[in-house]
Amino acid sequence: MSSRPTFIGAVEIGTSKITVLVGEYSGRELAIIGRGECSARGVIKGAVVDFKAASDCTHAALQQAERDAGESIDRVFLAQTGAHLEGFYNEASVNVASADNLVSAADIRTVCHLAKAKELPAGRSVVHHIRRPFRVDGRLVPGSPENLVGQRLEVGYWTVHGQEQRLADNIHVIRGFNLEVKELVLSSLASGHMVTTPEERQQGVLAIDVGAGTTDFVLYRDGAPHTTGVVTVGGSHLTNDLAIGLRLTETQADKLKLRFGRADVVTRDKAQKVWLDGNFAIGDRQFPQQTIEQITSARVWELLEVVRKRLGGAFSPETCAGGVVLTGGTSKLPGLAEAAARVFGVPAHVGEAPQWVHENLRDPGYHTALGLLYYGVSAQSEDTAPDRQARGVWGQVRRIFGLH
Amino acid sequence: MNESEFKLEASVAPPPLKLRLIGVGGGGVNAVDRLRAEQLSGLDVIAINTDQRALQACGVQEKLLIGANLTRGLGAGGDPELGRQAGDADRERIAAAVKDSDVVFLVSGLGGGTGSGVSPLVAELAAETGALVIAFVTIPFSFEGGRRLKQAEDALRVLRPWCDAVIPLPNDVLLQEAAEQETMLASFARADAWIGRGVRAVWGILANTGIINLDFTALRQTFRARGGKTLFGFGEGQGETAVAGAMESLRLCPLLQTAELSRKADRLLVNLTGGADLTLPRVNEVMTAIAEQFGRDCHISMGTVVDPAMTGRLQVTVIGSCEVGGRALPPRRSAAGRTSKAEAAPEAGPVRTEGVPTTASVDDKGKPKAKAGAFGKPADKAEPPADQNEFGFGEVESRGHFEKTDRNLFDGQDLDVPTYLRKGIKVVI
Repeated sequence: MSSRPTFIGAVEIGTSKITVLVGEYSGRELAIIGRGECSARGVIKGAVVDFKAASDCTHAALQQAERDAGESIDRVFLAQTGAHLEGFYNEASVNVASADNLVSAADIRTVCHLAKAKELPAGRSVVHHIRRPFRVDGRLVPGSPENLVGQRLEVGYWTVHGQEQRLADNIHVIRGFNLEVKELVLSSLASGHMVTTPEERQQGVLAIDVGAGTTDFVLYRDGAPHTTGVVTVGGSHLTNDLAIGLRLTETQADKLKLRFGRADVVTRDKAQKVWLDGNFAIGDRQFPQQTIEQITSARVWELLEVVRKRLGGAFSPETCAGGVVLTGGTSKLPGLAEAAARVFGVPAHVGEAPQWVHENLRDPGYHTALGLLYYGVSAQSEDTAPDRQARGVWGQVRRIFGLH
Repeated sequence: MNESEFKLEASVAPPPLKLRLIGVGGGGVNAVDRLRAEQLSGLDVIAINTDQRALQACGVQEKLLIGANLTRGLGAGGDPELGRQAGDADRERIAAAVKDSDVVFLVSGLGGGTGSGVSPLVAELAAETGALVIAFVTIPFSFEGGRRLKQAEDALRVLRPWCDAVIPLPNDVLLQEAAEQETMLASFARADAWIGRGVRAVWGILANTGIINLDFTALRQTFRARGGKTLFGFGEGQGETAVAGAMESLRLCPLLQTAELSRKADRLLVNLTGGADLTLPRVNEVMTAIAEQFGRDCHISMGTVVDPAMTGRLQVTVIGSCEVGGRALPPRRSAAGRTSKAEAAPEAGPVRTEGVPTTASVDDKGKPKAKAGAFGKPADKAEPPADQNEFGFGEVESRGHFEKTDRNLFDGQDLDVPTYLRKGIKVVI
């Protein structure tokens, strides 16, 4: 590491807004020195559909962030989401080579290599290899198994892969600003890391980031990400449902959603009506409050059920003692935590950023960008760790921020 | 609407228009059977089905059993392919039944075998003879399963290029309308009633002569670009607040389901029916409200009919078309195109061209003959596929904002469609 600090930009190209945070990383510590934001256009369900519009917004946000920081960004960590992302689990095992059954670094390298060697279909490329804990003779090893005694060493990877073109779309947006994308990070991992504590991750916790266009979730077990996924349903679907159901324009529906949308139906009186604008202007209309709640809650419940179905056997209340943590812009919907608790059968709460985060950045909408910075910095060390003898600097970083 | 108002002299114009109402498949036949009872003058009703028993049970005068050799008159069993084969086998008979029509109302329930398989063929045959084809189709309930929905969407995609107007009526929307205690029969009857009202509204425009008249050519002008999406709705209001009431019920009309679509109409045909007490300020009020809702830029043709029976009431019918993605198909049927089979009589085809607004006649005659030939049969065959790519999925128009995006499939359901619609949760609007 050079002594000169690097300026890292965390970019999240979301469906409703584009967030850029600038972090100054000196090799020892990371400080957030700039922020840029722009409401997004040309992005639907987390995927860039209008390249020009999306680029313009992103570039505006990047520019704003650089101005705010007073420095130019060196490299970018980019959040990834979208329907094209898929994951699978693959594991491998090796017989420990040495005569004294001591696991060597070579064994670890071999087994990791084997577990990651699964071929992908054409046109897809890997976003993340997420390692689940090693097992020595079936016994779970939280850290490195090096120098432990056993016959058999096993490891599994949850591999997240995406469609090459879609990944390239996002990278090109950043390249258009003449910046290099250092790393792609799953949105779910970034935000999940921010709102869960290491203890929760150890006990098992499910982090669900309900954004505008997508819902990204990650299930942690034994301190590490176990399963991740994306459902392309988010807050914009709530708006759309209201627009169709009440026959409104999107802007009007959005307004109603923010003011009266709920994840449960609390209004019992069918006749109770609410005003669209509430400003006593001519043309203001009334809508039954119960209808609004029915439409939004049906959508949210279904969304949570879809997440649960997607997790399948990976999730069970017994292995998820940490409960469910919700984040993302739509997590501000009243009653969402209660709905999640009912669907998953475990306690649920809306996640908050750790105490040291500045109050300007405490909105759930920033969790992904914040997580990108911190996860991005730490994940780099994680990936290279088994191959790396000297872990000095990286190890320090992780200790400083308490990431592991 | 009440029937008596349409008993006005439909025969004022010397050559009466040949209107046909064709019900295809089980759902379609049931719907026309119900409509037939309402006695619209000058409307020939034809029932086409593969199921002999269902056909026998209905009281339509002209029945056509198709594919008897293939299905032994036992129906297509929900298989559109079988339906299509049955239709092909009896192509000539269908062609004979639809020939020489000016307007064909095609009514069918998509999703099953006969409705999905045969409707496109009927539309194709009718369109070839130059008729204006207006299809009212029902889309199955979500609870009928993903496969039927898919079949319905496929059928709709094949159907659209052949029709001047396709008005889909998702049954899911009906569920929204149903009262808690309503029987199933009553619910289906209401679906048919909506189709019936739609047919009657168009029929009313053609059959009644208004103060400001809309006629066949105006209707045809509205649907100049074939394959586009259709906007269709009507509303009714009464008494002092007739305008507000009519606009409100127009907004809630299940045939006019998307909020999104309504802003994109390119051509709009508005027909007002009111009693002798209809005032000009009131007409102005309605037209302003409509222009507000459907876009000021669109080309609006307006008609007004005064009917003594409608005193104190006001009825608004809105028919519009929008060209999908701004890339409209070329106007397929101009006067020349219509008679492409009998080139010798270029102007004989359309009736009542006298009262055509100037724009219409320019369009009709302004098309060079060579071009009309290009829009003839071979071009038609090539056109639909190219056009389909543009709108792909999203045929069942309840995806709103997400209409142009990939489908969001999970467990055979499209998650972009509002949950409350798919789950049949009834909401009060």
